[in-house]
Amino acid sequence: MRSRVLGVVTVAAVALFTLLPLTTTDPARAMGLPALLDRSQLRGLTTISMFVVLTSAWNIIGGLAGYPSFGNVAFFGLGAYATALLTDPDHGHLPLGVGLLASPLVPAVVALVVGFPLLRLRGHYFSIATLGTAIAFGEVINNMDFLGGATGLFPPIIRSDLLFYYLMFGAAALTVGVTWWIMRSRLGHGLVAIRENEEAAAVLGVDTTRYKIIAFVVAAALTGLAGGVFAGWNSFVNRDNVFPVDYSVQMILMAVIGGSGTISGPVVGAVGLEALIQLLAGGSGVYTQILLGVLLAVTVIFLPRGVIDFVIGRSRLTLAHFRRSLRQTSV
Amino acid sequence: MSAPLLALSAVTKRFGGVTALDHVSFDLAEGELVGLIGPNGAGKTTLLNCLSRLYRLDGGSIRFSGMDIAKLGRHEVARLGVGRTFQVVRPFRSMTARENVAIGALFGSDRARLPPREAFRVADEVIDLVGLGGRGHLLVDELTVPDRRHLEVARALATRPRLLLLDEVMAGLNPSEVAEALEVVKRIHASGIAILVIEHVMQVIVGICPRVVVLHFGKVLLEGDPSTVLKDPRVVEAYLGERYARRVRGSRGDG
Repeated sequence: MRSRVLGVVTVAAVALFTLLPLTTTDPARAMGLPALLDRSQLRGLTTISMFVVLTSAWNIIGGLAGYPSFGNVAFFGLGAYATALLTDPDHGHLPLGVGLLASPLVPAVVALVVGFPLLRLRGHYFSIATLGTAIAFGEVINNMDFLGGATGLFPPIIRSDLLFYYLMFGAAALTVGVTWWIMRSRLGHGLVAIRENEEAAAVLGVDTTRYKIIAFVVAAALTGLAGGVFAGWNSFVNRDNVFPVDYSVQMILMAVIGGSGTISGPVVGAVGLEALIQLLAGGSGVYTQILLGVLLAVTVIFLPRGVIDFVIGRSRLTLAHFRRSLRQTSV
Repeated sequence: MSAPLLALSAVTKRFGGVTALDHVSFDLAEGELVGLIGPNGAGKTTLLNCLSRLYRLDGGSIRFSGMDIAKLGRHEVARLGVGRTFQVVRPFRSMTARENVAIGALFGSDRARLPPREAFRVADEVIDLVGLGGRGHLLVDELTVPDRRHLEVARALATRPRLLLLDEVMAGLNPSEVAEALEVVKRIHASGIAILVIEHVMQVIVGICPRVVVLHFGKVLLEGDPSTVLKDPRVVEAYLGERYARRVRGSRGDG
């Protein structure tokens, strides 16, 4: 019953976000349909889709495997640079399609290499190490002349908000689809077992190293894809716009508030918070930051398993979790 | 005579200056039920951690069905068919009891590794076998302490092991719960699985194990059939102290 409701909601949402932007096209206008979106709203939806990719991809390593990476933005940046390098007229000068193919591959290979040492660490050691790694990647790229140095790279401008909306929306749908598949497969069950107790998982036959690496690589590839689409869309890529540490924090915030470790939680968190951020964008950024901080605190205290758990009626608004964690930390 | 299922030879494990296991050697045959006893700190759990490759050895070797465990990864030992429980239970807390057991069937030994749908079917069977029937849908936190112990056993059993290592699964249980747990162990043994039972409480072992190994200060003190072993003055001394052992000897008139 609940899964049927969820299915209907999903299909309706996908149909809505597929069809709605079409009302901005010339044929729709010619047919006399009212434009239900303006260009800035379409761009807003593209950004929301981007955060759905980032948050859902983070959820695979952070939410399912329980390895809270604070450096996923590195994969976004690497994907963006891969696409930019291949499409920039001064460098690869290849079509966007080819550039996009490289955007998941480069971060995936990097994740495979750095994953071996990083995933030997646990808890906050892992978080700090990933944070440092991401900053290091940004700095190194910022200082490489063939990558444009601090000036950055300039992929050719393609004036089609609709194209980039559909690319980003497609990437978001792919990420959610991959998560759905993982959670039903042996891989997903193994990842959750690793999150809950890594040694117990190992003695039950879960190849913990391999599974963690797979989760990290898949998350990196999907994050990189979003970076590649962003590079084409923004037609300007440098350290400051594709390696912001803020993104790493935002992914985690959105996943945790929405409900990490689930399929819908990160989607709800990304859509809800990014929409909120855009609505408040007229005002001062400081208030947005304060609001996000308060939201995080309130969620962690009242709904430690995220908003989605409350929406589907599995948890209630109580202080019970908070009291329990206080008891546990004071022992 | 065929090679033993499990062969320990001069197994040694040190933690800094402390030698937790000192040249421990014994064998265990296919389908055999062996008790491992010894006072607190004798090295029983350390030995189990070596057997499931959570620890690396500092000397000696452990061979399981002909394979040197030192050369394998932790999960590969499980895939060969070594299942274990933890003395301090380590359930997957976000999962139901049934999901916990299904992890064992999804992964586990090469004979397990079932696709998800079948793994859950096997989980239901195993849950019934260990006496958790009807409580599979409960979250771990909703289970009683004895049920959490049963869950440890069920999860290990679902991996379809050839050797099951039970680490004090009966500690802290009341007599009727111990009796129930003993029934479960007997049932598992009857299905042909070799078992190494670690137990601090000797009475538990006596009833079911044809052979026991006594560990003391990391060394094998003695091995043999339980009735002989438990009467041995060295075992009495290890457990109850030298003074008590002297008194026992004195009252028998041979001291």
